[in-house]
Amino acid sequence: MLTRTLAVAHGTFRETVRDRLFYLVGFFGLALVGATTMLSPLTVGAQGKIVADVGLAAMALLGLLVVLLVGANMVRKEMERRTITTILTKPVGRGEYLLGKYLGLGLTLVCMVGLMGLLYVAAVGLTPATLAWSHLAAVYLVLLELLVLTAAAILFSTLAGPALAAVFSAMLFAIGHLGESMLDFGAMNGGWQQAVTQVAFRILPDLEVFNVRAAVVHGDPVTATHLLLATGYAIAWIVVFMLLARGVFARKEL
Amino acid sequence: MKTPDLVRNESAAPVLAVQGLHKAYRRGFWGRRGAPAVADLSFSVARGEIFALLGHNGAGKTTTLKAILGLVRPERGTIEICGVDAQRPESRARVGYLPEAPYFHENLTAGELLDFYGKLLGMDRGRRRERTRTCLELVGMASEFGRRLGDCSKGMRQRVGLAQALLAEPDLLILDEPQSGLDPLGRRQVREILLDQKSRGVTVIFSSHIVPDVEAVADRVAMIRHGGLDEIRDLRRQPGGHGFQAVIAVPPDTSETAQVIAAEGLTVSRRDSDRWTVDAAGPGDLGRLLTACHLDDLPVPEVHSAGGDLESIFLAGLEGRAAEPEVASC
Repeated sequence: MLTRTLAVAHGTFRETVRDRLFYLVGFFGLALVGATTMLSPLTVGAQGKIVADVGLAAMALLGLLVVLLVGANMVRKEMERRTITTILTKPVGRGEYLLGKYLGLGLTLVCMVGLMGLLYVAAVGLTPATLAWSHLAAVYLVLLELLVLTAAAILFSTLAGPALAAVFSAMLFAIGHLGESMLDFGAMNGGWQQAVTQVAFRILPDLEVFNVRAAVVHGDPVTATHLLLATGYAIAWIVVFMLLARGVFARKEL
Repeated sequence: MKTPDLVRNESAAPVLAVQGLHKAYRRGFWGRRGAPAVADLSFSVARGEIFALLGHNGAGKTTTLKAILGLVRPERGTIEICGVDAQRPESRARVGYLPEAPYFHENLTAGELLDFYGKLLGMDRGRRRERTRTCLELVGMASEFGRRLGDCSKGMRQRVGLAQALLAEPDLLILDEPQSGLDPLGRRQVREILLDQKSRGVTVIFSSHIVPDVEAVADRVAMIRHGGLDEIRDLRRQPGGHGFQAVIAVPPDTSETAQVIAAEGLTVSRRDSDRWTVDAAGPGDLGRLLTACHLDDLPVPEVHSAGGDLESIFLAGLEGRAAEPEVASC
């Protein structure tokens, strides 16, 4: 099973590399240089904070862009082009195929975030700010969030067309980060709105778990316990999304 | 995963057995089932046989092939490949499949694509390299090993698709419209490949809506109309085999015509008052007959495939469908 899954993963990784997705890393570098050059004169003494804030936000948004453009499109595109039929008519299970796709895109994200992380560390190092452990922890958490979103995008990709799957993924990203605000809004209005926001908050992942940007910018520590819990939380959601995707995909007619 | 023993043996059990296959696709928002794409279809294919599914567009050929490959789930009926339920992935361990108008990842080269499929089939590096080279040679694409698939023509992609179908040295080859999009040379090459595979003991099932393509290679043909089986014909037992029939307009004095035909070693299968029908076993015989007729000023108003019966039956079936309700396509 592992050989076939890894073969699909390798094929997916190669496809994304040849689709020139890594050009986005270049955009990230430009965003960092741009932010440092343009904003630094306005924030004397706080260049490190600007680089950290812009760097982590850009990393998350570019990663999200990859998830929306590639992850949400992944399975459906192969179904529409019928490349999937020649794969699934080999002795490859549908679960193996989905897992391979996930691992392939996951590897792409690991490489992309890794490269962006290196640029980020270099950029922070060029400022007067001290490079702390929390900077690396923040990069790791961005990666975890993207891996959760990728699993969700693959689930949506088995359910709907590329555009809808991308919209669902973007909504999940938005709701995942605005959960607390949604709860406040629901509590303020009461009634069914409170019930709906509470249900949404409970059944969808809380992506704020992976957002430690404020802590990094203000020099607060990110604890190892937080990282461990966030890792467990991410793995749990990835498993849930992938099992759901497998359940939907198993019944799909190709 | 345990690979079933699909290695060619001489058992009489069919390689493929389809029994009572029934499939209607769900349509619309509520997923209501439409007209059946395939209705109570049953047939079996013996080892080493070339079996064709012949039918009009939307007859249910592709749905049948997809059900055999486990890509769609039948509502009723059973499908077994060498005794293994077709819904199980291991049933496809020694099955090669070419979809209609295959499309592959544009950024891969022909060689990389076959290497990828080789990995899915569990081949080691050496075996993948050897099979990739052999299969590309077999389909006349050896020189295109490093060509990006995005730069390949439709016909070239069809050949690469055929190469990936042959990669596993399959016992069962399933081809959906294998000759579509190919030029005459490519079509002949596909015919030769199919006959070569048959000579190696491979079982082939393919779909087509082009009668001459079917007659050229198939041992048996199942004629499908509106998802149902019209009849199965054994082309091996058909008089004239895969040959041709030429209709010669004969003059009142028939002796010269008889001499011309006899000189070519051919026989007259039907004698009307002013027209004789002559059987030609193959293109060579037909060519000689036509040349001889031309030299002797004998008009040949009609030439058709000896399997004209099949075409007539197929067309008669198609003409009869105008009055019947529309069916779902795959």
